[in-house]
Amino acid sequence: MNLRAGRILLLALAIPTSIWAAQVPLLEILSEELERNFRVLQAGADPAPYFISCAVTDTEYALISATRGALQAHSGRRSRLLDVTVRVGAPELDNYRPLAGETALFASARPIPLEDAPEAIRRALWLEIDRVYRAAAERLIRIKTQRQVSASEPEAPPDFSLEEPVRYAEEVPPLAFPAQEWAARVRTLSSGFSAFPELLGSRVSVVAQREVKYLVTTEGTRLTHGRRMARLEIAATARADDGMDLADSESFEALDDNPLPRDEAILEAIRRVGTVLTQLRRAPVIEPYVGPAILSGKAAGVFFHEIFGHRVEGHRQKDITEGQTFARSVGTRVLPEFLSVIFDPTVRRAAGADLLGSYRFDDEGVAARRVPVVENGVMKTFLMSRSPIRGFSHSNGHGRRQPGMEVVSRQSNLIVESERQVSSERLREMLLEEIRRQGKPYGYSFEHVTGGYTLTERRAIQAWKVIPLVVYRVWADGRPDELVRGADLVGTPLASFAKIAATSDQVGVFNGYCGAESGSVPVAAVSPALLVTELEIQKKPAGQDRPPILPPPQEAGGK
Amino acid sequence: MRRAVLLIWAVWTAWAGQSAVSAPDAVLDAMEAELERSRSLRLADLEAPYFIEYTLDDVSSVTLSATLGAIVARHQSRFRVPRVTVRVGSYDFDNTNYVLTDYFARAAQAAGDVPIEDSPLPLRTYFWLATDAAYKGAVEAIARKRAALRNVGARDSTPDFFRAEPARFFESAAVRLPDEGPWVGRVRELSAIFRGYPAVYASQVDYGGSLTVTRLVNTEGTRIQYPDWLAWIRFRADGQAPDGMPVRDAAALAWQDPAREPTVLELRSTAARVAENVTALAKAPAGDSYTGPVLLEGIAAPQLLAQVLGRNLAPVRRPVAEAGRTPPIEPSEFEDRLGARILPEWIDVVDDPTQAEWRGRRLLGRYRVDMEGVAPAPLALVERGVLKQFLLTRQPVSGASASNGRARLPGAFGANTSAISNLFVSASRTETAAALREKLIELSRRRGKGYGLLIRKLDFPSSADGRELRRMAAGARLRGAGARLLSRPLLVYRVWADGREELVRGLEFRSLSARLLRDIVAASDESHLFEFLANTAPLALAGAGGYVAGCSVVAPSLLLEEMELETVRDSYPRPPLVPAPALSISQ
Repeated sequence: MNLRAGRILLLALAIPTSIWAAQVPLLEILSEELERNFRVLQAGADPAPYFISCAVTDTEYALISATRGALQAHSGRRSRLLDVTVRVGAPELDNYRPLAGETALFASARPIPLEDAPEAIRRALWLEIDRVYRAAAERLIRIKTQRQVSASEPEAPPDFSLEEPVRYAEEVPPLAFPAQEWAARVRTLSSGFSAFPELLGSRVSVVAQREVKYLVTTEGTRLTHGRRMARLEIAATARADDGMDLADSESFEALDDNPLPRDEAILEAIRRVGTVLTQLRRAPVIEPYVGPAILSGKAAGVFFHEIFGHRVEGHRQKDITEGQTFARSVGTRVLPEFLSVIFDPTVRRAAGADLLGSYRFDDEGVAARRVPVVENGVMKTFLMSRSPIRGFSHSNGHGRRQPGMEVVSRQSNLIVESERQVSSERLREMLLEEIRRQGKPYGYSFEHVTGGYTLTERRAIQAWKVIPLVVYRVWADGRPDELVRGADLVGTPLASFAKIAATSDQVGVFNGYCGAESGSVPVAAVSPALLVTELEIQKKPAGQDRPPILPPPQEAGGK
Repeated sequence: MRRAVLLIWAVWTAWAGQSAVSAPDAVLDAMEAELERSRSLRLADLEAPYFIEYTLDDVSSVTLSATLGAIVARHQSRFRVPRVTVRVGSYDFDNTNYVLTDYFARAAQAAGDVPIEDSPLPLRTYFWLATDAAYKGAVEAIARKRAALRNVGARDSTPDFFRAEPARFFESAAVRLPDEGPWVGRVRELSAIFRGYPAVYASQVDYGGSLTVTRLVNTEGTRIQYPDWLAWIRFRADGQAPDGMPVRDAAALAWQDPAREPTVLELRSTAARVAENVTALAKAPAGDSYTGPVLLEGIAAPQLLAQVLGRNLAPVRRPVAEAGRTPPIEPSEFEDRLGARILPEWIDVVDDPTQAEWRGRRLLGRYRVDMEGVAPAPLALVERGVLKQFLLTRQPVSGASASNGRARLPGAFGANTSAISNLFVSASRTETAAALREKLIELSRRRGKGYGLLIRKLDFPSSADGRELRRMAAGARLRGAGARLLSRPLLVYRVWADGREELVRGLEFRSLSARLLRDIVAASDESHLFEFLANTAPLALAGAGGYVAGCSVVAPSLLLEEMELETVRDSYPRPPLVPAPALSISQ
């Protein structure tokens, strides 16, 4: 099923300026040296490598932040980091085979020249291939030894999938960041928080980044692609009289040539954050609760990212230390049948926001594609890198990493689609009906969350947590909604899915950075608001310190 | 970021201690205004602060790295590093010198980032929040410290903080930032020199420059501002011997005056020497374990003294801890040795941060005021071989009554650490360099050895990478030397009976303790200057970041009757299977 037109606007990929790979000097330098090393190692090394790749991530960023009208940081940096992958053995069994209690890590994010200097780059690549080859060969020997002494899975899936090599090169325009203009703008915007004297800290920051990725493999892939991204973030903190620390924030993202919002929109967000935090200082603290609640679109996006997204990452299905919530669920119903969950890195924009989890190729050079993981409640597939799992022998373009880490399957843009959509007003009525049906005095509405985390390992409690910033108590007796503080949303995955009753037609977008085994990668989650008939809310850890003893300093050095 | 090296040509103005006159500076004024307001901090019936100090280092820096003629990294940064100290109790007993002092002080970092601009209100807001957090941490620390002491038997009556005269001076900050522009080309060119040395596997040239303006105010009335200019360049090269043993060499130069930057010729020859040393080491035979006479020539003697004297002349105070939970703290080997002989009676040691130059070279260890606002004076540390004084900060240690202005690096448990400045080691009984070599040959002959060892360079400050440092730390633990790392000798030569020199590789010291100093049997009539940037990392690890203190050591070559060196027993990979990619010598 499709997203309703007019509600979520899906924009097609802009057509990039494509250039021939052969015209990219860095790709040429890398492939020449890679081929030379591969030839010698294949001829003379034991065990011989069957695959080598080198990835270069060229990142440039500029950052400006300010508090109360004064700059706090003004910095920028460019780096080019090299990561080499060497596979020895054969695709059926190579040096990446999971070993109990030990994660394979060969990548090292080695800095290489910022300019296309052939000799210096070739030398760095030569040294790095040598280092990684040795470590790879050593690990393969250990893997083979361990297989002889311990019971292994009878028919373990291979370690590496065969994919078509890619030849693609696009030009990424230079980073355009008028620093002086931004400094003035961020200074002025940050003064917007001055209207809220009860805040402790506040900040407005803007970061502009250009990232270009290069990938060369012995299979013949010659790839360069990238994007520019700008992000403006506002954040503030306060402390309640009982010592509870309070925070709220909002961010705006823009990809490539798209602009960040105008000052009026940002100032509006600053006023909202300042007002909410000021009110939160006096808001009552929640009591532990189980009952119905509404998650706003943003909150629902984070909820799905944590409780669902991390559990459909393919590599977890072959790691016996993982909970493998859905390992045997393909073809069965895992969500209410009115819901579908799609991971789609090719979507650049939804509900008026640019999506951070979009890309053209993943970090193994596999083309991005739309992956419907759940259709009408039924599990269809997993997020796949080039590490096959039982029943899924190919990548679907979700192998991702940050430089210096090894690729695993990761989320991109998570998109929740619903066939049971009602208006926001109706969703609220449904919440009130559910509250009354359960005989509760009130329910909750989660407006804004900052993120969350989940534990997927067997030895841990396989639970999830979402950290709300702005929560309202919704009274059954018609009293106005009441802002509350100190709530954390917790639960276990399977119990949580069964309780989703309906969705609204209001879609929210959460952009963020997701941290996992392969480091921090940008992701997005797009979801309509959800009515959940049973959510568990627990108290946040309490802060230790009281609010400051002295009043804030005043202008003109007053006491 | 850095401190503690001062511009000597900058205008320097001092005000009388109690003078109400002060230089107009918006940042200092904002700091002082908030300091004044913070005097009234008090939580319920808990004690008020007796001492508050704010330091704000304003750092502008540039760094450049290049390899084989190409730029690898190029950054400019501008940031401020605040330090907020709150002491509660009294000079005799306060919240510091307790094992959890730093843990409770950490809360002050929760105040967010300090603004890098000068508008008073945002600055004051930062100091307001940081002082509040530091005060709350301090009252908690002193309560825990009192509780810990209830269960401890013998109690140390040493006070917790020395009083100091308030200092008020202001040096103009109008000094230009070290210039990056011309260095881009220079660093590129210097790194290209390594193209001519195929035995060098990896090489790097790093340039850095910084201008730090330090501001310090405290409730005793100290109000200080001074700028600090520093630039440095580092060369590093790595190779591998045919048996796989990694070999490397490194060199660094630092200067505090744009007018005194090294000449292109000096820079080129330094780079070339590093490359030549690695080339020679890769071909040199591995050394054998050795016990016998060693001649430390050139910078090797001041390098050894910088380490052994440097770490032992700074006294170490043990913090109060819960009974049975004393942290493992390595004491100074000179503890309780004031008045005892630690060197031959013909050797004197003076630390003199007031001396600007030595034989026409500007010294890196000069400074006007230390991190605690205390002005230093020359100190005769060792007279005729007898230990007379320690390098002191405002942290009291037994036998001392006041700071002598040597707080140069941050320390632990609420205190700062002392470090040497310009250290002059002089001998009243000297011989020519040639006579020293003869003596080395003679001593080794008497010990029945075919050769004696000559060391020309130690790896200090260390250029080791993380992996090697971890291996060295593991080795130190096995030797029972605690976690203390020993710097490795980089250039070691066998001197045969006929005077022939033979470079060897792969030797390390079995120990580098202060006891060695009593085995010095002869010194040369020529002295050598060795300069480096000290930091808080082990072996003053080059580029470790954080605070640095410029140090200069002047010493003659030294002949030691006995040192023990052994073969490095690290395991290492074989040379690469794939031959190195070709290099063209021309650009």
